[in-house]
Amino acid sequence: MAESRTLGLQRAMASLVLDGDEAVFESDPGEAARRQGLGDAEQRSFRDQGPGMRTYRELARMSLIEPLETLFPVLKALLDAAGAWDGCIQAFLDARAIRSSHYRDIGPAFLGWLAATGWGQDRWPFLLELAHAEILEVLVARFPDADPPGEVHADPGPQDRVVLDPATQVVTYTHAVHRVREQAPVPEARPTHLLAFRDGEGEARLLELTPATAALLVQAQTRPLAETVAALGLPGLTPAMNLLRDLHRDGAIAGFHRPLA
Amino acid sequence: MAQDRFTGVGLGLRRPHLEAVAGLEAHGVPFWETCPENVIGDGGRHHRMACAVLDRDPVLTHGLAISVGGFDPWDGEYLRDLGRFLIRTGTPWHSEHLCFTGVDGSCLHELLPLPFTREAARHAIARAKDLQTRLPVPLLLENITYYAELGPSEMDEADFIAGVLEGADVGWLLDVNNVYVNGLNFGFDPKAWLSRMPLDRVAQIHIAGHKRFGDITVDTHGAEVIDPVIELMQWTLARLGRPVPVLLERDNHIPDLDALLAERARLQHAYDAVLAPVLAPGGVGHG
Repeated sequence: MAESRTLGLQRAMASLVLDGDEAVFESDPGEAARRQGLGDAEQRSFRDQGPGMRTYRELARMSLIEPLETLFPVLKALLDAAGAWDGCIQAFLDARAIRSSHYRDIGPAFLGWLAATGWGQDRWPFLLELAHAEILEVLVARFPDADPPGEVHADPGPQDRVVLDPATQVVTYTHAVHRVREQAPVPEARPTHLLAFRDGEGEARLLELTPATAALLVQAQTRPLAETVAALGLPGLTPAMNLLRDLHRDGAIAGFHRPLA
Repeated sequence: MAQDRFTGVGLGLRRPHLEAVAGLEAHGVPFWETCPENVIGDGGRHHRMACAVLDRDPVLTHGLAISVGGFDPWDGEYLRDLGRFLIRTGTPWHSEHLCFTGVDGSCLHELLPLPFTREAARHAIARAKDLQTRLPVPLLLENITYYAELGPSEMDEADFIAGVLEGADVGWLLDVNNVYVNGLNFGFDPKAWLSRMPLDRVAQIHIAGHKRFGDITVDTHGAEVIDPVIELMQWTLARLGRPVPVLLERDNHIPDLDALLAERARLQHAYDAVLAPVLAPGGVGHG
């Protein structure tokens, strides 16, 4: 196939950029061409242009790694302290898991790769939760704009279901990962419930919920409010509805829906 | 013609300036350039502000991620969204880079060079022609900076780019800073290089700052445009003899909006100075 040489060269460039073996590429960039089965002329071309090839490796890796360092500073601090951040990043690059042409998707791709592979979670069981919590507000802030859900009203009734705003997330972690910081990146082990949503200005906000409120928000999406409040043993319907009105006013709840009988 | 309203020096619409630009109608910027990948499928406050500006002001679109010279299949869903976006903005054309950005489904998010070979040119021509059929506006291709040739070359960069532009019959987004930077890195005269090129295909010009790292100069978009690059822009505009739009790119170390507007005004002055004689009644326009 006529294009196979061009494709081979492109694969060699990808190998040069993404593969580990820093010392190998530093001493011989032609190794990237050799790995793709390219001939002596191609290997020599890579080798003879060492400074330019190393520039590509540096620039391309920087463009892929910088968003991760920005989005996951606490995770980086945790892994850096154990000398494991670079290894984590290299394992991610080795997996060729960045499949989206949207630059903003690099962070979510990293999160997806952590979830799919379980990388590091035998040593740090909270690692995936920590990464998710670090990116949660960004995901909510940039959730694709969509038409508001139809047939919802603003004031809740006992037979209504809760309809969350499409960007809203109710999440439960086994660790208090929202309280960590770079100087203290290991979270306390305690169940944590968070509500992440966009306010009226479109800015992301984060609230810590009680277990009962988290359960209310999840369960009342699929069964009547009064029934949910009773099943959860909450103090009464009125306080629950007042809370839901507040969350509707703040933007977390799109409205309330009463299914046809 | 729709593109007649695109003259002068525009700016890239960048996230740190969105709020200020959205609230500022008399900014003096004749047009904005936006990257569709950063708008399509996004949401939230910044997205709303970006859309407000794009719906209000003249816009040109410039993509970063379509791998024109690559081998991966097009993302059909993205191209459909892109087509709708281009129509919404009213852009007279859409530009992408003459490069590859991914391999085997893996996105590298870097503008990587194509081999300067006949088969790579044939491949890029076929891909550009195919991409053009999927877009609702004319496609432009931009020349990139490169820091190494990808494999043994059969021709030089100028012949490669000219061959692809002519073969695909597409317009040219000429980045004069990229020509200047490549001239520094590979030791050629930018004006001699440009004199060999099909300047009749130039529909838009990019200009930006760069920085030297050791023996290699990098197209950083992170500094003010230096005088020799401004002079190269003027030389090119004089050769063109027509007021193609110029876009000042600034993507790193982004200054506050006032500083960027001041740099734009300086470039606009240089633009006007060179074009006034050729556009005056009785002036000599060509290209």
